[in-house]
Amino acid sequence: MDAEAHIRAGAETETPWRYRLDELAWRDLVDGLKQSHLPFVGVWCDGVDVHALFLPHGVQPLAATLALEDGRYPALSPARAVSSLYERMIFDLYGAEAMWATDVRPLVDHEVWSNTTPLAASPGPAGGHKGMIAFQPSDAWAAETVGVMTGIGPATGARETPLHTALVLDGETITRAETLSGYAHRGLTQRWKNSRVDDACRLSGRVVAGCSAAHQVAFCQAVEAACGETIGHEVAQLRVVLLELERCLQHLYTLGGLAREAGALLVSSRCMWFREQILTETAPVIGSRLLMDHCVPGGVNLRAATEIGTLCTRIAELGEEIYPTLVELWQGYAGLAGRMAGVGVVNSAVLEQVGLDGPVARAGGGDCDCRRDLRMYDGLWRFTAGRHDGSVEDRAAVLLDEIGESLRMLTELGPRLGLTAGGRIDLTYPDGEGVGMAEGPWGTILYWVRLQNGRVDQVFMRDPSASALLAYEAALPGQAVADIGLIRASLGVNAAALDG
Amino acid sequence: MGLIRAVFDAAFRQGGTRLKPVGPRWPLLLFHVDTGGCGGCGMELEALGAGAYDVQGAGFGFVQSPRAADVLLITGSLTRTMAPVLEAAWQAMPTPKGVICVGNCAIDGGFFPENYTTMGGLDRKVRIDLRIPGCPPTPLQVLEGLCSLFGKRPEGETSADHGAGSSTSS
Repeated sequence: MDAEAHIRAGAETETPWRYRLDELAWRDLVDGLKQSHLPFVGVWCDGVDVHALFLPHGVQPLAATLALEDGRYPALSPARAVSSLYERMIFDLYGAEAMWATDVRPLVDHEVWSNTTPLAASPGPAGGHKGMIAFQPSDAWAAETVGVMTGIGPATGARETPLHTALVLDGETITRAETLSGYAHRGLTQRWKNSRVDDACRLSGRVVAGCSAAHQVAFCQAVEAACGETIGHEVAQLRVVLLELERCLQHLYTLGGLAREAGALLVSSRCMWFREQILTETAPVIGSRLLMDHCVPGGVNLRAATEIGTLCTRIAELGEEIYPTLVELWQGYAGLAGRMAGVGVVNSAVLEQVGLDGPVARAGGGDCDCRRDLRMYDGLWRFTAGRHDGSVEDRAAVLLDEIGESLRMLTELGPRLGLTAGGRIDLTYPDGEGVGMAEGPWGTILYWVRLQNGRVDQVFMRDPSASALLAYEAALPGQAVADIGLIRASLGVNAAALDG
Repeated sequence: MGLIRAVFDAAFRQGGTRLKPVGPRWPLLLFHVDTGGCGGCGMELEALGAGAYDVQGAGFGFVQSPRAADVLLITGSLTRTMAPVLEAAWQAMPTPKGVICVGNCAIDGGFFPENYTTMGGLDRKVRIDLRIPGCPPTPLQVLEGLCSLFGKRPEGETSADHGAGSSTSS
């Protein structure tokens, strides 16, 4: 039996795509996963059960549920490396142990919280650690560390989210790298629990700035799926406008940062200036710069929805005017491409292992884009292939290409939208579960939402940052220590999304 | 909670001893620490620093080390894990020094008030010299807030002019 059949052989639950397994079947599933390519999304806990979610066919979810036995469950990390981060998070929040896990170090709880296992039925006592938290190396690190140890972060003075990267150096070359996270953990799982649906939506917009629209679109779709509602075509297209605008803005932001790291200050300021030009047009119409809180359950909430069509046309004109010169500048600027060539290679083997998607995977030869399967992109998305050697240079080129593609989609959307009204349908919230997804600037963002008594009972969020962190750790050995900034920015490593 | 006792002596207050001139001739140097939010305020600071707003011309600069900084610029709700880091950055700064909170999270917790892992904002915990509220505040609002330290409005053209600044100085 393959892994998918193992799940479908389980007992049916109230949710048609979720099956309840017993412990032996779950172990068979883990064994099956080692031989199968079933796309893994994540694993989470609700205190009583653990759930693992997969996407066997495009956007169709398939989930397996296992009741915790004595607070334990068999780990999925031997079969899916990225599961390790979710398992460590589950242990920190609920105290549920993953048996045979590949990594059992704490992820976000470094004994400084006011309760250990805060979401367990009976939370533990306060952590006793005082002062700065210390990096705890993995077993592999402890076994073979030769060289100078150093570290970067969490407060570097750069405008980035807090994360500590521990390094072993041989001269200027990194021989080993591991991260210490948890600095930005705000307890989102707890804050989502039993919150009002609108409040939960606002929280999902604050998981990570720069991907707010994608997070909120995915959250709203999950809520709508749980309610059994489908939103109209027009509103869906308005959401596409938000998503594609966000991609343009975030990619320009990333490229600006990359160019600055690479020493091309002129190119950097040109990218940021283009971004400001777009923002000058969009902010008054949409209502904010970082596109927060414009996608709400059941619809959209825009300051001037009727002007969105005109706005798209205006952005398209701006793009025609500025984008080609930016591409020319990027490609022709002396030393810029050379500075990034061959740096921080994330090849298909690493991608496969950590399950990373988004532009990083596309630049490494992966063919993954959930826009292909999303109905709201019908007739808009088209397959594009760019460079695929997986270095920082390739990733930057893919980001630049994607800006062009997003601008093209906005150009096509402008006349279609015309004087659209936008708006919002009123949802009643029955008990149920739903899954929603969107392609964010850094890859697929997926939400699983369970509604109960008209409120949000639990939320699970999948963001590419977990896989990106593993790719970051895997890409650093062999690189020069001076290239860390470039590699981090080009992989989309973001502590805010990762720590939750 | 006695995390930071901001002894903000002289740099901006009238009547105090001014140890060095601040303003365009001698920029006020900011050390930014993200203490655990969504990162939106950090993105707006990056946009502010990237040239379109001429933050350098207005007399401000971002530095990479707290030892070179005049002001600690804090964004995000303070997590218990980041608190000792913030404290260490504050201790490393030379006096006179000050605290600026950018964004609702840093001021009162915003969307992330106190729970098992965050301590909420810095309001009523330490002396904050300048609050720039918003979720997130626009770069122009941040710039206007910073310039209010010198009692002036930002000069010259800014490329994105939407929404008036609403910073409050204490």
